[in-house]
Amino acid sequence: MNAIAEQKRKNRIYTAVILGMLAAVIVIGIACLFVGASNMTFRDALDALLGSGNDAQSRIIWKIRVPRVLAAVIAGAGLGVAGLVMQTTLNNPMASPSTLGVSNGAVFGANLSIIAFAGGFLSTGNNIQSFDVGANPYATSLLAFVFSTLSVLLILGLCTLRSFSPNVVVLAGMAIGAVWTAATTILQFYATDVGLSAAVVWSFGDLGRATYRTDLIMLAVVLAGLVFFWLMSWKYNALLSGEATAKTMGVHVEGLRFATLLLASVITAVCVSFLGIIGFVGIICPHVTKKLLGQDHRVTVPASALSGSLLLLLADTLSRSLGSGSALPVGAITSLLGAPFFLTVIFGKKGGHHGC
Amino acid sequence: MLKVENLHFSYSKNGDHALNGASLQLQQGEVGILLGKNGSGKTTLFKNILGIEKPSSGSIRFDGENLLKMPRRERARRIAYVPQHIHFGDLSVLDSVLMGRVAYFGMRAGREDYQAVEKILRDMQLDTFASRSAEALSGGEKQKITIARAMAQEPKLMIFDEPTGNLDIANEQLIIREAKRLAKEKNISVLSSLHDLNQALAFGDKFFFMKDGQVKYAGGREVFTPAVIKDIFDTDVRIAQVDGRTVILQNF
Repeated sequence: MNAIAEQKRKNRIYTAVILGMLAAVIVIGIACLFVGASNMTFRDALDALLGSGNDAQSRIIWKIRVPRVLAAVIAGAGLGVAGLVMQTTLNNPMASPSTLGVSNGAVFGANLSIIAFAGGFLSTGNNIQSFDVGANPYATSLLAFVFSTLSVLLILGLCTLRSFSPNVVVLAGMAIGAVWTAATTILQFYATDVGLSAAVVWSFGDLGRATYRTDLIMLAVVLAGLVFFWLMSWKYNALLSGEATAKTMGVHVEGLRFATLLLASVITAVCVSFLGIIGFVGIICPHVTKKLLGQDHRVTVPASALSGSLLLLLADTLSRSLGSGSALPVGAITSLLGAPFFLTVIFGKKGGHHGC
Repeated sequence: MLKVENLHFSYSKNGDHALNGASLQLQQGEVGILLGKNGSGKTTLFKNILGIEKPSSGSIRFDGENLLKMPRRERARRIAYVPQHIHFGDLSVLDSVLMGRVAYFGMRAGREDYQAVEKILRDMQLDTFASRSAEALSGGEKQKITIARAMAQEPKLMIFDEPTGNLDIANEQLIIREAKRLAKEKNISVLSSLHDLNQALAFGDKFFFMKDGQVKYAGGREVFTPAVIKDIFDTDVRIAQVDGRTVILQNF
């Protein structure tokens, strides 16, 4: 009986770890509000936060930094947890939020908007000033979202023919992704210099594009996903015993896989459409979490989400501090920051958890 | 009672039938053993009974209910599976066995699920392992944990696929004894495939010899004759009595 009590004690420790991570996200998130390109002192930022700063400072904090930090927390959580559940349901450690061609579809949509329709967010955007003032600021995001969702639906539709065999899903994702990439290349071949550079800049992830409205949309999708994934955590655990065994334990594996892939892809599509490509979060965070905390999805679902938030928060803050005036692409920083840590954990000696 | 009638199944659309009119009947509480060469259809038959695969024709009934129309969760409360290849991820023994309760609790395990699992762990003397990672245990212990997980499903029928395939003889004995004990004490039917004919004789009440996707011979111990074994396995054996037990002797 002692061993059973011991197991229950372990479960309590995991709960504490997750609450600790949540606290870290909140503390670091608030701390990140004090870092940025403008020469505000700590005192200025605090005043602005408490509502007693001057107009410019308040605007920097409330219109720029707060939505940006929220975007990091929300998108990081979404991408981190999406990677985890994709890896579990596809039984493939290389699966990521972009496995179903989501990112490639989004890039194509954005390129189409920028190059062919000369539009999009650039009129409100950061690095390049508007070259078509009349463009709708949401057009690029919208087209990116349409094409990434199209990609997902196409692949999931195709895979119903083969009852969602994991390998078929991954291969179909690669093939469709390659088609979008090819189409993007052809578009870029015909693009003007300005269009091409605008399109390339779009594909660099940038949290500076976030507004309260985009944050709210992302939050709704990510929150729905998190709740669903968390409720399904025992069923994901059952999948660790193999697909056939999970079926005999009463899990509707095909339905679970479909719902999971769809939700994870929509989360990714929304984040990528608003913020651009933020790679690697969906690979690094689930693997580091599994390596350190084990494979129980009751733990890894919240932990992957929170570690995604942490990584993106830190990466964005670093990108803002290094860029001296204009932020470096956050997608590059997540990889630069995450990869060494990832490798240390993967090759590090931590007994017990072999499953990456 | 399990009643399988005239089951047909093929892994590919135009391929050979892996099951070609297989039929069998097993009464409640009986231990039935499937025997046959590799590729004769034993595992395929199991997969169809378990709902992992769907037959192209034929019927499977359990206590009069049509298993082919039953939702997976309902089926999991009646039939549990002890697979040959065992994986647990890196879940603890307690969580691995608790997994068998998914068909009951769905999303979150409740107090009664924990109580049921604790009882099974004590009964099978696994409680001292409860917090260890199941994956790190020995082959025999892992096999016991899969049986415990199957027990947590509170099944009326347990299906074992080559339960002794990867075990040494001491563990073979342990697993067969445990399975037999549970079957008798809880009145659970067992359907198992085995390669060793003598193990089969010691373990089973009823025997099904499979060939070419069909159950060709079925019945009690009397079915074991040199002629039947010659037909099924294409090999010559002698049958002897030792200490009142029937023993199959291979000619080497």
